[in-house]
Parts: sequence; structure tokens; C-alpha cells
Amino acid sequence: MSDAVKDVGERLIAFLPNLRRFAISLCRSRDVADDLVQAACERALASAERFEPGTRFDAWMFRILRNLWIDQVRRQKTVGIQDDISERHDIAGSSGEREAEARLTLKTVAEAIGELPEEQREVLILVCVEELSYREAADVLDIPIGTVMSRLARARKSLAETAGITAKTARSHVMKGVEG
Amino acid sequence: MTRTDFSDEILMRFADGELDVETSAEVERAMETDDELVARVGLFIETRQAAKTAMKPLLEEPLPAELKSAVERTVAEKASAQSGSAPRVVSFPHRAANDRRISRWAAPIAASVVAVIAGFGGYWLGRGGEATPSHVLPLAALSKPALDEALVTVASGAERQLPGSDQRFRAIATFRDNAQALCREFEVDSADRSTVVSVACLAGAEWRVTFAVAAPGGSDGYAPASSLETLDSYLTAIGAGQPLETAEEAKILGDLRQKREAN
Repeated sequence: MSDAVKDVGERLIAFLPNLRRFAISLCRSRDVADDLVQAACERALASAERFEPGTRFDAWMFRILRNLWIDQVRRQKTVGIQDDISERHDIAGSSGEREAEARLTLKTVAEAIGELPEEQREVLILVCVEELSYREAADVLDIPIGTVMSRLARARKSLAETAGITAKTARSHVMKGVEG
Repeated sequence: MTRTDFSDEILMRFADGELDVETSAEVERAMETDDELVARVGLFIETRQAAKTAMKPLLEEPLPAELKSAVERTVAEKASAQSGSAPRVVSFPHRAANDRRISRWAAPIAASVVAVIAGFGGYWLGRGGEATPSHVLPLAALSKPALDEALVTVASGAERQLPGSDQRFRAIATFRDNAQALCREFEVDSADRSTVVSVACLAGAEWRVTFAVAAPGGSDGYAPASSLETLDSYLTAIGAGQPLETAEEAKILGDLRQKREAN
């Protein structure tokens, strides 16, 4: 058995929840996302030997998945499919046992993320949620690092506005006691 | 002396730990006396945290059993295929690619090929001996003038009925391959609901179909994902660039039409 396939296969299965989350945030539909994840896994396994050990597996997978998605989008545009607006809220998911107020807040942020333009949303997810560096995000998205930064800044300002995240609540985090 | 004119981008980089040490120190110093600056940095820290928290439930969702088993099955299949016979390689009449995209992302084309025809003369390749030559690719039956005409007139995103047939031509994208040849990706739907996903490239003044996959008819007329994957591998192999913008495509197609009329 090829070590590359075995290695990629093992990492893939462990990575499925993250990959699926990224897919849902791209497609805003769980069904579409699951198909996309599956296609991305097949692609990754078919090119397992291309994965360079020592580089970030998550970034590699995100890139494969996103490239497949772009291809699908290109087709959907062609045949005129519009994404179902109600699916946008799919991304919010269920927040389980959390208390009502918290759920309300979380849903708002999730919705605000869902409403971001795709180019901003993907950068936000990769950097803020999946914790890729700017450089890594730029590689996944095939864009200059400067573009990553400008999109990311716009995404966060818009998120703050839409979800009502205010600077006031942030102050204590930032200064940690420096403030009197 | 402290600066106070930091851009949002600098403050965001500071909040994300992506700013150089020197500028970081400047921001820190300025923050000691500038509440507004503190708030601006805080916004970036807060939005990062909020996004993370909001997306966490998705990570905690149980994986759909179907997805998990499908991926596990694929892993097992790939692993056993690798230990068995060598993978079949399908070669296309294109020079070996050497760009970065290919070296890192190319997928072996062999694995997912269902049926591929190259050129109008065409030959069949089957997976695991399951070729179905009885099912003739509708493209082969296509009139060449009709296809040539459609290739230089239909903008990507548009479709048209091909004259004298019951086939619909749908242009998907226009791009250049790694030899800078102009290529168009398109689909042709037939009355029997099958779709041919295809690529044609300009060789001199002539369009040559370099790739075609017959997708069994879905009720919705879409090519199933597996055939698109095959296409994707092919596009990677020829080093297909990004699709051209609408205006650029329109200009190139216009030029081609003019050239054709001049002849």
C-alpha cells in the first residue's frame, strides 16, 4: 500500500468535520456541502502523492475543496441556478444546549457571516475560524496576501456592524487592566 | 513620539499577530494613550473570537453517516488499488505541463475516467474494461460547422439550439491552456437527456475538440459530479488558466468571427 494514500486517508478522516464546516460555509447548504466534501476527498486521495509532508494538510484540503466548488459555481451560474436564500441561514446550525440569549447572539453572528460576500466569507473562515496565517490563506485562495488583508478587514468591519459587535465590549480584552 | 494614523489593516495585523515586531511596538505604545485606537484593535480581536464561536457548532455536529462511510470506502478502495496493479494512465496530446499549479495539484486523470473521446475521430477508454462503445457520444454526431459557429458566437453562460439538430449547446467558459491556445469549455445536451461535457481548443484557425465526457442523462440535465471531476483533472493537466472575463471573451470571439468572414 502506498504510504502517501494511507497517510492522506488517515488525515482526511480525522479532518472531515473541519472540511465539512468549510464546505458548508462556502455552499451554505449541508447537502451540497456533503457532496463537495466527498468529491474533495476523492480528489485528495487521487493526488495523495502531491501532498508534501511537513506542509499544512488543512490548507491543502481547503484548496482542493474550494477549487472544486468554484468549478461547480461556474456551472451553476451558467444554468442560472440561484442559491436559495433560506439556505443562507443553514450556516447558523444548532447551538444545542446554550441558553436562549447566547443562542440569539451566536445566531446573529453566524447569520452575519452567511450574509458576507463569498470572497470575504472564505477569507474570514480560513483566518479567524480555521486559523490559517494570511500567507496560507493567500495560497489556498490563489490571491495576493494584500488582497487577503483587505478582504479580511472589510469582512470583520461588516461583521461587527451587522452583528452588533462593539468595540466597547472588546476593550477589557485588549488592555487587560491597563484601563483604569 | 507615537503615531496615531494606523490604518485598519495595520491594526488588524496587530490583532492577528501578523505585524512585524517594530510596528507592533509602535501600536502598543500608541494604545497606551489612545482609547479610540484600543477600541479599533479590540474590534478585530472581538470579531475573530465571535466568528470562531459562531462556527463552533458546525464542528460539533455529528458527521452524516453516509458521508463518513463514503469517504472511508474511498480511502479503502484507493489503498487497495495502489497495492494492486499500476494505475492506468491516459495521455492527451498536450505537452507536459510544468507550471506550479500542476506540480502541486494535478490529479491522475486515470482514476475517474468514464469515457473519453479525443478529437472527432475519437477513441474510447473505459474504466475497468467497462467501456460502452455501443453508446455513441452525441458529439461525434454533431455537425462541425454548427459547432464551429457556436464556439465563436455563444458567450459563456449562454446557450443555443444547434441548427438542424435537437441538441443544445451551452458555453461554460473561455480560457487559455499552458501553450496559450484559446480553449472553450462547453456542454451539449441531447434529446435523450445525456450531456457531453467538452473542451475545444483553437489549433490555427480550426477548433479541435480535445476532451469530451459523456455524462449519463440526469433528469435535471446536469452532468454528474464524477464527469466534472474528470474534466477538472483534464483542465489541470493542460494548465487551463482562469476563465476570461466577459469583455475579453467577447472581444476575442468578435475577432475570430471577423477573421473567419475575411477568409
